[in-house]
Amino acid sequence: MPRKPTGHSSRLLPVRPLTFSPFARSVARVATAYMVKHHARDAMQHSAGDEFKKLKKVERQSESSEDEEFDGVVQADFAFFDPKPDDFHGLKTLLQSYLDNKEWDLSGFVNLILEQTTVGTVVKLEDDEENGVFSIITALNLERYKDHKCITELKEFLLSICLEKDKIGNLRSLLGDKAHDVGLLVSQRVVNLPPELLPHLYDALFDEIAWATEDEPTEELRNSFWFKFYIVVSKIYKHKNASQKRSSSTDEGDAFIYVKPEEEILHKLSMWSFLFPLQTQQVAAHELKNYQLNGIVMAVKAEDISSFRQQLHTLINES
Amino acid sequence: MATRLQFENSCEVGVFSKLTNAYCLVAIGGSENFYSAFESELADVIPVVKTSISGTRIIGRLCAGNKNGLLVPHNTTDQELQHLRNSLPDQVVVQRIDEKLSALGNCIACNDHVALTHTDLDKETEEIITDVLGVEVFRQTIAGNILVGSYCAFSNRGGLVHPHTSVEDLDELSTLLQVPLVAGTINRGSEVIAAGMTVNDWTAFCGSDTTATELSVIESVFKLREAQPTAIVDEMRKSLIDSYV
Repeated sequence: MPRKPTGHSSRLLPVRPLTFSPFARSVARVATAYMVKHHARDAMQHSAGDEFKKLKKVERQSESSEDEEFDGVVQADFAFFDPKPDDFHGLKTLLQSYLDNKEWDLSGFVNLILEQTTVGTVVKLEDDEENGVFSIITALNLERYKDHKCITELKEFLLSICLEKDKIGNLRSLLGDKAHDVGLLVSQRVVNLPPELLPHLYDALFDEIAWATEDEPTEELRNSFWFKFYIVVSKIYKHKNASQKRSSSTDEGDAFIYVKPEEEILHKLSMWSFLFPLQTQQVAAHELKNYQLNGIVMAVKAEDISSFRQQLHTLINES
Repeated sequence: MATRLQFENSCEVGVFSKLTNAYCLVAIGGSENFYSAFESELADVIPVVKTSISGTRIIGRLCAGNKNGLLVPHNTTDQELQHLRNSLPDQVVVQRIDEKLSALGNCIACNDHVALTHTDLDKETEEIITDVLGVEVFRQTIAGNILVGSYCAFSNRGGLVHPHTSVEDLDELSTLLQVPLVAGTINRGSEVIAAGMTVNDWTAFCGSDTTATELSVIESVFKLREAQPTAIVDEMRKSLIDSYV
């Protein structure tokens, strides 16, 4: 099929939020039909100084479908970069609601992520003058940064919102005496980011962590990347009637709908997790009217990560 | 003195507040920290009034004013208007105007003598501005942007404009406004100056992302370093003739 070179357009296809449950998948299928081709290019570059780690070309061609508001090809070249100081404002916007509506040192947190260039990836468009940040993924060692105000505030927040008595002990130990082995996995993106990028994004992160354990200049830094546990703070939709017995009707849907597809896998693999209520008002889409947005905190063992990576590849490649 | 603060994790202080030489308006909601930062600087000198405009918190961008008056958009409620009239000093005239460009704070930038306005503002509105605020009105653009109220902030002593303003434009504006101007940024590189800060003749409030360099530029162009409300008189004292011998 002939491709029209439309140049780099930063307007992406308006895809409905891709949430992963059979119910949401059928909704997404009905809404838009599209064909995706992707080419993975270039081997990963090893040295930390290089900007380009992987280039992913994602093309979306829209077939004629029911809700077509436009036609034609939207070509978007996503590129993975090391975090740079210029990305400050984009990152800050992405992480605005990371800790719900708590007032905390968000700028300090963003600075931490930007300073850690050895581990962490920012997804941007290639040659984009506006420097828009589409996604960030990184892992921060809780012990290494424990003196930073943002990390202390984050720990306080997590401990204060944990209402489940049996989990709070685990949380306290991970944030306290085991902090040296714990990485805070921060992964945030714009809602309509193509899911084909996700396996590569996570691969990039875990590979960088592995390389950092060898390449970092000091032994202390090398050891700080030997994570045994990862903590993930995110948001999921929980069915409002989840605690009641589900009726036999299949329209009830799943108990949870995951905004980020990989979190379904992480949730299953997690050692423990707990939900917390969000204070910010949420606007519910029609399909999600039976669901309530909750925050979730999960702890995952580092040993389970390779299984996670495999499952993520399968999940994305089959859909 | 310039102070750095935040409104609920946002560094856009100029959106949620409006500071003049005679009063200060602050948005409702947010934490008490925001309000008390203003109170501690201004309490004895000018009233700090909590308000909303049209039920929203973005009061800094919806209204325009100086020591002579305050202009609010047509969708301001009667209660809000009454509250403002009651809380502000008597010499400040509060006027609600019918202008289709209702974000007056984005369209009008003014100090106590001069105002710069959006090029498409109604003629009637321009006349009201001249009457109520007691200023001379100039329709201008700043670095090609028509939202003059967003891209510059100036007081009676100096002004900060959009970083891409050319040298010729800077000179022209400086002549019109009769104050020294400098092109710069706020909140770590943001070009929307008036959203990131609010200023009067002796103090300024900036977003907490503002770098030390940006802050020193602000303190020098607005002459805030030793500024206290009384300092203005002290400076003039030498040129005041006390008595003839």
